[in-house]
Amino acid sequence: MIKTIKASKSEKILFIFLISLSIFTFTSFFLLKNKCLFVEKNNLDTLKFNKPNNISVMNVECGNVIIELYPEISPKAVERFKILIEKKMYDGSAFYKVSENTFVQAGDIEYGNINNLDYSKIGSGKSGLGLLNSELSDDFKFTVGSVGFARSSEFDTEDSEFFITLKEIPIYQGEYTPIGRVIHGLDILTKIKTGNKAIYVLRPDFIKTFRMLNSN
Amino acid sequence: MKILFLFIFLFNISHVNADEIYNLIKIPNLEIYKLKNDNNIRYLSAKGNFKIGPNKNITCDKVNLDNLNAKFPLIEKNFNQYNSNFLKKIKLKYIVFCEDLFISEINTGGIPDNKNRTLILDINFNQKYFKRMIHHEIFHMIQNTHIEYFNEEKFSSFNQTSFNYAECSTCSDRLNLNLYKNTDGFLTEYSKSIPSEDMAEIFSFLMTDKETIEDIISTDKILNKKVNFIKSNLAKIDKIFYDQNY
Repeated sequence: MIKTIKASKSEKILFIFLISLSIFTFTSFFLLKNKCLFVEKNNLDTLKFNKPNNISVMNVECGNVIIELYPEISPKAVERFKILIEKKMYDGSAFYKVSENTFVQAGDIEYGNINNLDYSKIGSGKSGLGLLNSELSDDFKFTVGSVGFARSSEFDTEDSEFFITLKEIPIYQGEYTPIGRVIHGLDILTKIKTGNKAIYVLRPDFIKTFRMLNSN
Repeated sequence: MKILFLFIFLFNISHVNADEIYNLIKIPNLEIYKLKNDNNIRYLSAKGNFKIGPNKNITCDKVNLDNLNAKFPLIEKNFNQYNSNFLKKIKLKYIVFCEDLFISEINTGGIPDNKNRTLILDINFNQKYFKRMIHHEIFHMIQNTHIEYFNEEKFSSFNQTSFNYAECSTCSDRLNLNLYKNTDGFLTEYSKSIPSEDMAEIFSFLMTDKETIEDIISTDKILNKKVNFIKSNLAKIDKIFYDQNY
């Protein structure tokens, strides 16, 4: 005869605890690990823009980052930026240089694309469109969400790489060519993968697509 | 495969200074001291000690802010003698303040770096010569960016034929910065070290004590030629700067 053993009160508590722990672990692993979970999505159909011709949409893992371009401040730079977007040259571009809560940088067409990621040369790639002269503005403030063309240590070396500031960086004023400003989706940029104690990111996040609003 | 692992390892451990000031001028541990100025010059101060240069041979210590605050009005007044266009032409935008500046273990007042548009200044430099040191170092930036105007051979030809400069500025014992009573072609002992230091000494006096120089060159023919050489070339670089100062 099999004797049924009743679980004691403490055993029941332990059992409930283990079940709760399993649920918590499961949720943490599958839900909390999703870095995009609490990021606000930007639906292009519901947003209104004053200058739709100057609106670009960068789609990354967590959603759409909407950037207004400023051709009146940097006409040549914005013209180049639009060409690169229209030719879809930024699609698959790696955010290979990321400083947490400071800036993200992408746009190396040659060595920083998902299809050709060369860690030894990344940051030195060319677009094939030639270098641009710097268009510096002493009035443009690099506040949160400012988009600027990256360059080498010399001026007039802008090509295709760009950065977006995640905090105000006053010292960049008059140092870098401004392109525009993020008007929606700044929180999406804060989710982009950062490096491990370095600003260069191994196995970086990528731009999925980059389009002008009117071409969507 | 081993090489790949080694690369990944190196990629992860090579710490890159993410500091945005470092990204611009390649000096770590700096913070903004004063950013907005009429001539667009930007003042930065060392919040920690730093070592820079190819062999980390340039060292300087963090600034005591009370010390800097006390000296800053004088520093700013002297930099305000230069307009923004002139500073642009000589590639000077950032002034880095630190204390006890050494290059290859030799104490120095300032280190100009045209490439990064930076002048590092030791705010503890001998206060007697501090004002002159600022302009002296600025002259090196002027010469570096306009080497065609400040030809050392031509400048040296103003000296008596029997005179020879040293091989380098630190390989002689001609280091005294006091103004000679009898100049005889040279304002200070340090002027006798090398042509560029001779020019920088003249320029520093022109910027801080023009009247004394005018007096001296009325009797010292060699210095007269040297001063006119420098002044005429400065006028070629920036007429507004020349008219404002001379």
